[in-house]
Amino acid sequence: MLARETFYDVIRRQGISRRSFAKFCTLTAASMGLGEAHAATIAHAMETKPRIPVLWLHGLECTCCSESFIRSAHPLVRDVVLSMISLDYNDTLMAAAGHQAEAILDEIREEYKGNYIAAVEGNPPLNEDGMYCISGGRPFVEKLKEVCGDAKAVISWGSCASWGCVQAARPNPTQATPVHKVITDKPVIKVPGCPPIAEVMTGVITYIVTFDRLPTLDAQGRPLMFYSQRVHDKCYRRPHFNAGQFAETFDDEGARKGYCLYKVGCRGPTTYNACSTVRWNEGVSFPIQSGHGCVGCSEDAFWDNGPFYDRLAKVGAFGIESNADRIGLAAAGVVTAGIAAHAALSAVKRMVHKPGVGAEDKNLASLDGEPK
Amino acid sequence: MSTLPRAPADGLHESASAPDFLTPATAPGSAGVVAPKDLRGVADLPTDERPVGAKQTAIYVYDMPVRAWHWVNALCIVVLAITGYLIANPPAAAPGEAFERSLMGNIRLIHFTAGQILAIALLARFVWMFFGNRYAHQLFCPPIWRRQWWAEVWFEAKWYAFLVRDPKKYIGHNPFAALMMFAFFVLPCVFMVLSGMALYSMGTGVDSWQHAAFGWMLTLFGNPMTLQTLHHLGMWVLVIFSILHIYAAIHEEMWSRQSMISTIVSGWRMFRDNAR
Amino acid sequence: MSALRTANGFELDNSGRRIVVDPVTRIEGHLRIEVNVDDDNVIRNAVSTGAMWRGLEVILKGRDPRDAWAFTQRICGVCTGTHALTSVRAVEDALGIMIPENANTIRNMMQLAQYVQDHLIHFYHLHALDWVDVVSALNADPQATSALQQSLSPWPLSSPGYFRDLQNRLQRFVDSGQLGPFRNGYWGHPAYRLPPEANLMAVAHYLEALDFQKEIAKIHTIFGGKNPHPNWLVGGVPSPLNLDGVGAVGGVNMERLNLVKKVIDDSIVFTEQVYLPDLIAIASFYKDWTYGGGISAQNLLSYGDIPARANDYTANGLLLPRGAIIDGKLDEVHEVDLKQRDDIQEFVSHAWYSYADESQGLHPFDGVTEANFVLGPNTQGSKTRIEAVDEAAKYSWIKSPRWRGRPMEVGPLARFVIGYAQGKPEFKEPVDKTLTDLGLPLPALFSTLGRTAARGLEAQWAAHTLLDFHEKLIARIQNGDLTTASSLKWSPDTWPETAEGAGFTEAPRGALGHWVRIEQGKIANYQAIVPTTWNAGPRDAQGNIGPYEASLLDTPMADPEQPLEILRTLHSFDPCLACATHVLDAEGSTRSAVQVR
Repeated sequence: MLARETFYDVIRRQGISRRSFAKFCTLTAASMGLGEAHAATIAHAMETKPRIPVLWLHGLECTCCSESFIRSAHPLVRDVVLSMISLDYNDTLMAAAGHQAEAILDEIREEYKGNYIAAVEGNPPLNEDGMYCISGGRPFVEKLKEVCGDAKAVISWGSCASWGCVQAARPNPTQATPVHKVITDKPVIKVPGCPPIAEVMTGVITYIVTFDRLPTLDAQGRPLMFYSQRVHDKCYRRPHFNAGQFAETFDDEGARKGYCLYKVGCRGPTTYNACSTVRWNEGVSFPIQSGHGCVGCSEDAFWDNGPFYDRLAKVGAFGIESNADRIGLAAAGVVTAGIAAHAALSAVKRMVHKPGVGAEDKNLASLDGEPK
Repeated sequence: MSTLPRAPADGLHESASAPDFLTPATAPGSAGVVAPKDLRGVADLPTDERPVGAKQTAIYVYDMPVRAWHWVNALCIVVLAITGYLIANPPAAAPGEAFERSLMGNIRLIHFTAGQILAIALLARFVWMFFGNRYAHQLFCPPIWRRQWWAEVWFEAKWYAFLVRDPKKYIGHNPFAALMMFAFFVLPCVFMVLSGMALYSMGTGVDSWQHAAFGWMLTLFGNPMTLQTLHHLGMWVLVIFSILHIYAAIHEEMWSRQSMISTIVSGWRMFRDNAR
Repeated sequence: MSALRTANGFELDNSGRRIVVDPVTRIEGHLRIEVNVDDDNVIRNAVSTGAMWRGLEVILKGRDPRDAWAFTQRICGVCTGTHALTSVRAVEDALGIMIPENANTIRNMMQLAQYVQDHLIHFYHLHALDWVDVVSALNADPQATSALQQSLSPWPLSSPGYFRDLQNRLQRFVDSGQLGPFRNGYWGHPAYRLPPEANLMAVAHYLEALDFQKEIAKIHTIFGGKNPHPNWLVGGVPSPLNLDGVGAVGGVNMERLNLVKKVIDDSIVFTEQVYLPDLIAIASFYKDWTYGGGISAQNLLSYGDIPARANDYTANGLLLPRGAIIDGKLDEVHEVDLKQRDDIQEFVSHAWYSYADESQGLHPFDGVTEANFVLGPNTQGSKTRIEAVDEAAKYSWIKSPRWRGRPMEVGPLARFVIGYAQGKPEFKEPVDKTLTDLGLPLPALFSTLGRTAARGLEAQWAAHTLLDFHEKLIARIQNGDLTTASSLKWSPDTWPETAEGAGFTEAPRGALGHWVRIEQGKIANYQAIVPTTWNAGPRDAQGNIGPYEASLLDTPMADPEQPLEILRTLHSFDPCLACATHVLDAEGSTRSAVQVR
């Protein structure tokens, strides 16, 4: 039997001393509300525990989440894969294919029942008996339910798994369904974004590995550590927003000066994500810094809030599509015209007929309009 | 029919076939009873309070807090609509150092201030329902479960549509007006307060009491952007309501059988044809 | 069927043992392959099934054409940006929008960076494990590995200590028993031929490439704000240039351009000192593994890309060649026109869609799409438990596109061969040099390895061309041109009532086209034919098999239970299935034909 490299081996190899390790265990025990005595338990667990297996499934998706994951700079994804987790199944990276690949799912489910993480990229379509996404000759949704069924927890990578994303945009022809609506009996951690930021993805994974617990989630199931504030809240162009200095069109004077992109449709004020702080690709930039408004890709149903370049989303009703201001103005216009007509008619009636005269018998008597 | 006595008022009779809804129902206290003090004839008034036109009958309908609330509301809604529109379609500030100017910041500050005043006033007005006079709860409680009331709504609607020659007389809102007030003012106002506070809570943070209290609104319709769109549409609903409301008040003042505009200033409702 | 000869000249025989590979991994999306092998384990029949469908083109109907790039970009996160670029070009073509010169330059830089990054990831992380035995690397001598590395290139990570450390880490990893992505791989498979030292070197570069690919992506991050899925703009690019004006820190400034320059320089070094030497070294061990050519020796198609000047999309204005080679005649390169209705057509006789007349193909402007998930009578299993598909009936979510009735192979090999046939030195010289270095004749190009080699050569070309465009951008800025976007036709008020257009790029995987029709400022119809549709498409009404299917034929398998040879050839196409799968009308109703004006 081969010896497994444990968490302890890994951190020792990465140059962390035994002393630091003991201290870490003590702090962990303290932070979990456990006494000093439990530090030894934690240390023991970490010294003997294998790397946590991760089964990473792909449903209807575009693989941008896997691509983003491998962009992680800290930690480098090579270290995540070689030292922190055991990425036993990922269609995009794994060596095995066909039944050698599918066998891994069964092996891990059996060997690590309740102790592995199911990471899901993409979502299952439910129309046509699920056959809009076929894996191993059967509907992906079946595979998803099996793998998640024995998992310790489920990570919904990206907006596809978290919300449905682009294939679930109106009219959602395949009935693409987010993971938490199919998997209802396991904790589901949503890491939305199209894709999520690489370091957010590895941050969530390493948090789970490091602290051996799931991150604190908000009411929507997103980790608070990355999704508790809006892009707007920490945007470096926020002073220009407060000042009222905006780019009016792309490449205008304001755009070149780095003014706020609110008027060219930025969704930062309604988007919870870490883009303006963690930023992208090792902190190089984020959409607003590169001149394009946030499109809100980490929000549920953001695709149906278009056009992306208008402050006001398109509103569709009664077969007419417009925005709130145009609808409001048109309605106000109609109402005003109606009032003018009504007033004119009332005046005419008034000239023809004095109100009240002769009405005594019929209509006079209702006392008040409030029948309590 | 209830057996509670109904006070005959000067010139304001119940019809022989007084419908069921006119009877006192479940409201506490004397509500439902047309108390003589509320239906005082002009003759009961001190001379200096006596409205012009001696033959009219006047009833004290809108007590002071209600009138104050009305005008605070009116002001808030005007301010909120203007600033709200500007938040969605902001004017450009002068270039230069961002820290020196706060145009958008000020517009938002005014919007938030007016919004919170509106919210508190709405809450206070709601509470006043339990302390004010018997007309104070009418705004919040249209008796939509009563068929007869709907018949009255229909009757008034026909009057507005010139299908009926004469309206009935009401001390408070007529049923049609009450329905309009509830559907196009009270409900939108509540929605605007809830959605406004929810949108505001995105700024105060997910750990704020605002978010705890109103954050659920953010995802009720999908995402915060959708709520923002609905909040903006709500502004237009209230703008259109205001136009109709003002027109209806002028219309009633001119052509109905009771006063309107002066009532919301003085609180007294006049019935012009009572003398006949 | 038992044995037959297809219209395009391939012998098929499905009487032998059926082997199913599902899922095919190390690709984008969901692909299923079924083959029949004869008694000698040689593949005699191949069936390619696209196993997913998302319906993006349906979702696009009724939306703002300026938003379309964002939707279509989500067709694929691997070749991220390519669909977006194709989409903005289609919309600009429809609306007659001219983009500024700098916008063209920046778009080219993003597209070229995508080639370098995507080809690198493909070679090392999606393809290398078909040639490289990771476990064998444990037996390598670090000293000898170092000598091997130093004989190949001046790449500095070449010391014996470096390789020893790596080998130790690998040893511990294997000893842990948790092999992660290498679990259940085909280690020790007889089709692996590299010596342990070459394997160790390749594993080192697998990890180095994993570190480096994220650097290349920074070019997207600078101009598009993020990667994957950077931002694009109809009418130009969203990132303004501001070198030394007020607020220069808000735009693309000197620091940003320096970072771009560094990434370009590093890309050139990495492709020339690591990628290409590895390619040649690995190829030299597999020289006689000449399988996988398929239809590449017959029919090749490229739309061309990288316009040298803004708004010039003619064949002569494109740096990547445009043209078609048919029936193996390299001396004649045909002109390609995306709007020519008789040239590009899609067939559905073997795809899960239906046409009124399925013997006919339809141009994307006439796109009729109706889902029809039916399985043939000889299907084994049930609707939700497919054990073997019936290739005589419908069997894929991918349509069969044809150019003048022929299945066409697209991709880097097609681009290089077409450029070669056109006598362009930037394509001819590296091809000739590579063939000479390996001692191979020109026909050796039409193979699995040929595809893989063309991709490497293209990465090198792209890295150098990136530098050219960086210099061009600097020169334009020098001359005072900072414009990056045109707002002239930004407002829908300026658009015609109806308009239609076609946009194209060469995606890393091959020719990519989008066709859009705009009515009253909204998308009325949107169609895409993507590289993997060309390559992975099923049979057509005439029985012509597609490039994937053809490429697998006649390949001997060492062990049909371990389908390494199949993976090798499929991976050489760099499959992207999310791209390939096509569209369905929401109600399943037939779309009205669109007339080209």
